[in-house]
Amino acid sequence: MKPAMTPEQAWAAYRPSPDNPWDTRKVLHLYRRAAFGATYAEQQHALQIGPHKAIDELISGRPGWDAFDREAAGLAETIASQSDALQMRAWWFHCMLYSPHPLREKMTLFWHNHFATSQAKVQSVRYMLGQNQLLRRHALGSFRTLLHAISEDPAMMVWLDTHLSTRRQPNENYARELMELFSLGIGNYTEQDIREAARAFTGWQIRHHRYYFNASEHDDGPKTVLGRSGRFNGHDIVDLCLDHPAAARFLARKLFRFFVSEEMTPDRELLEPLAQKLRSSNFDVRSAVETILRSQLFFAPIAYRSRVKSPVDFAVGIVHALEGRIGPTALAQATENLGQKIFYPPSVKGWDGGRAWINASTLIERHKLALAITSTEDSSFGDHCDPAALARKYQKNTDEQALTFFLELFLANDLHEQGRQALYDYLAQTRRGSFPPYWTDQDIQDHRVRTLCYLVLIQPEFQLD
Amino acid sequence: MWSRREFLRSCVASSSLVAVGLSIPRFLSRTAAATLPADKPGGKDTLLVVVQLTGGNDGLNTVVPFKDPLYAKYRQALRLPLPQLHKIEDDVALHPSLKGFAELLDDGALCVVQGVGYPNPSQSHFRSMDIWHAGSMAENPSEGWLGKTLRQLSGSQAFHIAQENEEAPLALSGSPGRVPSLTRLEDFRLHMRAAHRGDLLAQRKVLQQASAGTSSPGLLDFIQRTATQTYAQVQRLQELAQSYEPRVPYPASGLAQRLKLVAQLIDAEVGARIFYVSLDGFDTHAEQLATHGRLLQELSDAVTAFFKDMSARGHRDRIVLMTFSEFGRRVAENGSKGTDHGAAAPMFLVGGRVHAGVVGNHPSLADLDMGNLKHHTDFRQVYAAVLDQWLGVSSRQVLGSAFRQAPVLQTRAT
Repeated sequence: MKPAMTPEQAWAAYRPSPDNPWDTRKVLHLYRRAAFGATYAEQQHALQIGPHKAIDELISGRPGWDAFDREAAGLAETIASQSDALQMRAWWFHCMLYSPHPLREKMTLFWHNHFATSQAKVQSVRYMLGQNQLLRRHALGSFRTLLHAISEDPAMMVWLDTHLSTRRQPNENYARELMELFSLGIGNYTEQDIREAARAFTGWQIRHHRYYFNASEHDDGPKTVLGRSGRFNGHDIVDLCLDHPAAARFLARKLFRFFVSEEMTPDRELLEPLAQKLRSSNFDVRSAVETILRSQLFFAPIAYRSRVKSPVDFAVGIVHALEGRIGPTALAQATENLGQKIFYPPSVKGWDGGRAWINASTLIERHKLALAITSTEDSSFGDHCDPAALARKYQKNTDEQALTFFLELFLANDLHEQGRQALYDYLAQTRRGSFPPYWTDQDIQDHRVRTLCYLVLIQPEFQLD
Repeated sequence: MWSRREFLRSCVASSSLVAVGLSIPRFLSRTAAATLPADKPGGKDTLLVVVQLTGGNDGLNTVVPFKDPLYAKYRQALRLPLPQLHKIEDDVALHPSLKGFAELLDDGALCVVQGVGYPNPSQSHFRSMDIWHAGSMAENPSEGWLGKTLRQLSGSQAFHIAQENEEAPLALSGSPGRVPSLTRLEDFRLHMRAAHRGDLLAQRKVLQQASAGTSSPGLLDFIQRTATQTYAQVQRLQELAQSYEPRVPYPASGLAQRLKLVAQLIDAEVGARIFYVSLDGFDTHAEQLATHGRLLQELSDAVTAFFKDMSARGHRDRIVLMTFSEFGRRVAENGSKGTDHGAAAPMFLVGGRVHAGVVGNHPSLADLDMGNLKHHTDFRQVYAAVLDQWLGVSSRQVLGSAFRQAPVLQTRAT
């Protein structure tokens, strides 16, 4: 599939027009991709201020994000000192649920998938949290800086065996993934490049929980990597990779898949302007992401609902839109059942994503989680995430109002007529019926509204991003 | 489905969870799970059931070289009584508890692979188990051989049939989709919160409507189709849960019940080709005789019932069930009438198309390595046969290098 536009048109900024208006569908599309969905108030606000300012806000974060960060960093330190892996997962959910800078959390998730490192092997909460904070710090910064920093990151050094690599026996693991998965992609380097590059990373060790350069284990002899020769060290190799023309294309392709579409394979021509932008800005991620979010292509039909919601997006998105306050531990455990255990990606390639998120088992788990969150009767989620209370807050009191409200909140009204009718029929058929005699009218109404919300969340449309 | 009693109970407890039965046309659910028939090994619907014997099974008292005088010398308290052994070769016999296995052998459905292990064997439960799960000797593996296999078997699922609180095995990690761990059939169903029957029926209608595909090919259509298939599978499994009548009785043991669940999932054609179950308790450092006998009894009876049930349902030639343990045990018994951690041990393969009989000699009791049996067959040779010849997946890709296939499956002229 190809979008019916030239690369220049594709990356030009979207401007609302009468036949291509700034509407709820576009607002929610933007907030699904650049945040974890939107509350009703955020939706209304974004509609009012228009795409330009809405994207400004997402890129810069809301006021107070730095204070939130400092507090979260303090919590992380406590968790690291207690070495509690479940609390570590819960902590990140806390950040994703409540940070005033959701795009940065989203990009942290992007980098976690890009530099996929698992606690299953690292076995250090401190290192994993340290890496997570590193990814967050550079989430919208320079990819060059990040790639240098991640090469020296203790979690990464354990994960890909850099710390075991010696002058006599260089370990090729990090050198290989640096080229294959982190910067260039297969086909842009040779096996000989990997062997030579591995020598440059020898002597990279961990001491006192930090990167340490052990000169006596470092091979400082001449090496030839990617067509250049010299007495390269590891940092030289990182720069050589980034100077290769494939590097910017590789990152552009991954950003495209993350923000625009998992279904469409963009050709080189389409990606080139974005790659060029990365090269000319010395790999400034913020400006590349900004270009994507503002683009015609991003708001084009081809990008719309062309990704499968990841388990994290599914779970966090529901709680966020319901304006819920819940303990994040239960959420961390639940998304594991949905197929995404954060801090434990299945391999160094990260999660496959896309259609692999959905099978019979994960679909059932999505149903269970949607029910557990919306029912208010599941002890692990509590009752501070209540669709009925939310409907009351926005004075959506009649059936018709409640239906319209939840369809707009979660689906931007993208439900075919039969689906909408089925939901309406649900409400109509449960207006009467043998409810327990001790239920008040309010109890009955609350039950119907919560069920309605659950039934919206299990719609196939809601599984798409 | 919805019994009158459940209905009344739910009216009292307003929020009781109830299972959903959706009526989906039978033809649709059939199509959803349709698979191509297997005319040859490696065909599209061959199945693999892995049974893990956790703790280190004493191979020497499982497949017994009863004529070897060294056996009697090393095993005094633990020597098995000759008359009760099931002789399968001139000088090799199965443990008295393995009566079912002996029958399977007569039936041409059991393969005994002798002397399986790997170089420089580890005697740590965890390290050795990791090696078997990863199918590799790499330090700190994070992916399993079956997880990698699933990446190549696109569209196929796997199930881990777990005991309560049993974690998902490393063997299955690294698969593209999540592999569910089920402890009971009820885990595989949709829950709803309905206050009364009308409420429930109305909710069901919404679900049915939601999965009714009206869109053009694409992601949405993919989700709708998966939902339709899922609802159909859920319904079939719930029906099965009530109506499944094994063709042979299953023992009441835990392993038998887990294998019965495997049988139900296979018979329901839910699209899974790999199943994983385990049986714990083989770490018999003391008073081994009775414990080991009971464990092998559970293994043999459960596997035999499972295989007979599956055969009676026409799945005989689709199934390979394979057992393994992280290591065998020390040849010489210890002072507590038990055995300590060892090395090489036998594996069993059960199925209509396994090479029936014994593969390889019993490792020599005269040529030990630190008191342990030496392996002559690398476990990855057995994996390679199962991958290449049975599942039709490149063992080279899964195992990282080429292993000569152990002759554990029938080779058929095509």
